[in-house]
Amino acid sequence: MSGNRIVLIVDDDMPQRLVLRSQLEGLGYPVVEATNGLEAVRVFEETEPHMVFMDIVMPEMDGYQAASIIKQRCGQRFVPIIFLTALTDEHQLARCIEAGGDDFLMKPVGRIVLESKIRSLERIGALHAQIHALYGQVQQEQKLAEEVFSNAVLANNVALDRIDTLHRPAALFSGDVLLTAYSPAGDLNVMLGDFTGHGLAAALGALPASEAFRAMTAKGFSADQIIRGIGGKLYALLPTSLFMAAQFVSISHDLRHITVCNCGMPDILVLGKEGEIKQRIQSAALPLGIAADANYGHLVTHLDITPGDRVLMVSDGVTDVRNPQGDYFGETGFIEALEQATAGESVVERLAEVLREFAGDAPQDDDISLAEIPCVPEILPAWSMEVEDSVFENRSRSAEEQAEDPGEGRLEFSLFLHGRRLAQADPVPLIINNLQEMDEIAVHRRTLFTILTELYVNALDHGVLGLDSSLKGSAEGFAHYYAERERLLSELKDGYVRIRVRVSPAAEGKDVEIFIEDSGSGFRFRPFLEDAEHSTGYAGRGIRLVRELCKSFSYEEPGNRVRAVFGLQS
Amino acid sequence: MPVSVEETDNDSVVIHVSGRFDYSIHSQFLSAYESFPKGEECFIVDLKDAEYMDSSAMGMLLQLREHSDKAAGGVTIRNSSEAIKDVLRIANFHRLFTIV
Repeated sequence: MSGNRIVLIVDDDMPQRLVLRSQLEGLGYPVVEATNGLEAVRVFEETEPHMVFMDIVMPEMDGYQAASIIKQRCGQRFVPIIFLTALTDEHQLARCIEAGGDDFLMKPVGRIVLESKIRSLERIGALHAQIHALYGQVQQEQKLAEEVFSNAVLANNVALDRIDTLHRPAALFSGDVLLTAYSPAGDLNVMLGDFTGHGLAAALGALPASEAFRAMTAKGFSADQIIRGIGGKLYALLPTSLFMAAQFVSISHDLRHITVCNCGMPDILVLGKEGEIKQRIQSAALPLGIAADANYGHLVTHLDITPGDRVLMVSDGVTDVRNPQGDYFGETGFIEALEQATAGESVVERLAEVLREFAGDAPQDDDISLAEIPCVPEILPAWSMEVEDSVFENRSRSAEEQAEDPGEGRLEFSLFLHGRRLAQADPVPLIINNLQEMDEIAVHRRTLFTILTELYVNALDHGVLGLDSSLKGSAEGFAHYYAERERLLSELKDGYVRIRVRVSPAAEGKDVEIFIEDSGSGFRFRPFLEDAEHSTGYAGRGIRLVRELCKSFSYEEPGNRVRAVFGLQS
Repeated sequence: MPVSVEETDNDSVVIHVSGRFDYSIHSQFLSAYESFPKGEECFIVDLKDAEYMDSSAMGMLLQLREHSDKAAGGVTIRNSSEAIKDVLRIANFHRLFTIV
């Protein structure tokens, strides 16, 4: 504010102006003058001064009114206004500050007091400018980050037109993130993450989390493996105090089961058609990014659902909403709002309305996120066979090209999983990745994934672990089956599964032969295959599906070896 | 003061937090323990007078845990209200802290 900056003196008394002018010019400030409030506003606009000395009692317009007009016109700029007053009435002095004045000086003004006032206001002015610049920088960075966030994190989400969501960030930038993606088998994976705090720092972890979520979902990893992968990545990247609570739900492509894991979030709810709460899945695990390498296998829940059920995911910001009196919305408010929702009504919309009424104009402390996923066919991927066919034709090679490379189109490898490895590894994504090099197979990924998964899970569950699939006949049995499976896997010491995959040219296209052997004692497969033809229950359904998909399918005695051939062009 | 410290005879440092336990007291919470050498002390966080806790407070507790002597018991959280106990339970913090 020093140097060539202009100072405006407003006073109707000429001798007063003269004295002040000479003092200010002595300090090196160029001076402009006005004789009343109205003129002051005009001169202010013309000369854009950087400091104003304002008398109070003047004709036309007094100092209070002029000050408040000038302050309004300043906008973001800091232009200190110092009132010059002979008054000693405290109320009058207070009014100077109320009108927008920054300070006042008693007339007559002494040189030393004037100089220190100016210095003090220059200091405030410098601070003001600094804050203003910093604020602008923060705003700009947040905008940039938000753009990156929307492009990299949210743009790849799927099925969002069918999922009802409510998202109200507390800051420009939210610490909550909702991710959706399809697995190769056509399951829908959804994750609602809530990072520590909110704002830019909270969103830092969203990039690696979404990257891991999408990459691992696309490769067909199971829920607990994906959660473990994200957790490991966040642990490696984020500082101790930053972590992510998360709800993870995988809805199977037949809309019959969900796999759920709740890591430090409020309960995940499964709602029936009437809006009644059918299941609650409590937090079972630490938030992600706290522990180096956790095993989530036993923290994942498998549940049976009916098509048409809805999964409700919610961040703790919802129960933490406060009304203007400071009361929390709480679990009670949340449940009451759920009960108010009528059958068929969107629970999210109902909650949004109730929350709006409850909170009124109270400030929002935390990010609020809600997602309601209907378990209906529309949320599933619409992968069409026509697309796969056209890709297949475009990529097929001419006979000459194939002759030049005798190895073209042939591939063979095997995997041997033994003991503890069986409990830790899922070989199916690995096999699919190995095959992915071949263009033709890439487009049949989903089908191959289904076949490999069914056969491998059968070998492991029934062969190695000796589980009885008739357990899965009822909803309770279904959950019991998975609990038992988890226990057996954790205790597993020996046993093996051997998988061999061979791809070779066939009369039409190529054949993928899958051979799987397990360490079990086999089973009476002939009656099983006959039963499976007619069965409508859980047991045998997987194998019936595999048989439909494959060119040939057979068990070898004593029933611990299975061979399936999948044709790449039918 | 929302954060105060006392050393007790049995080798634990007690940190009292009152009011809202959130990011606003971050630097005070940090200075309550950083003068103690890293990895040599057990801490007790007393939440008798804390009325609220958010996720950034949980991050602060994790940092304190990093600073504590984990082998000798690490960090104990005591006297928390039912609401705060719920927050700790949902986050499964009993696996990392002693909650009494």
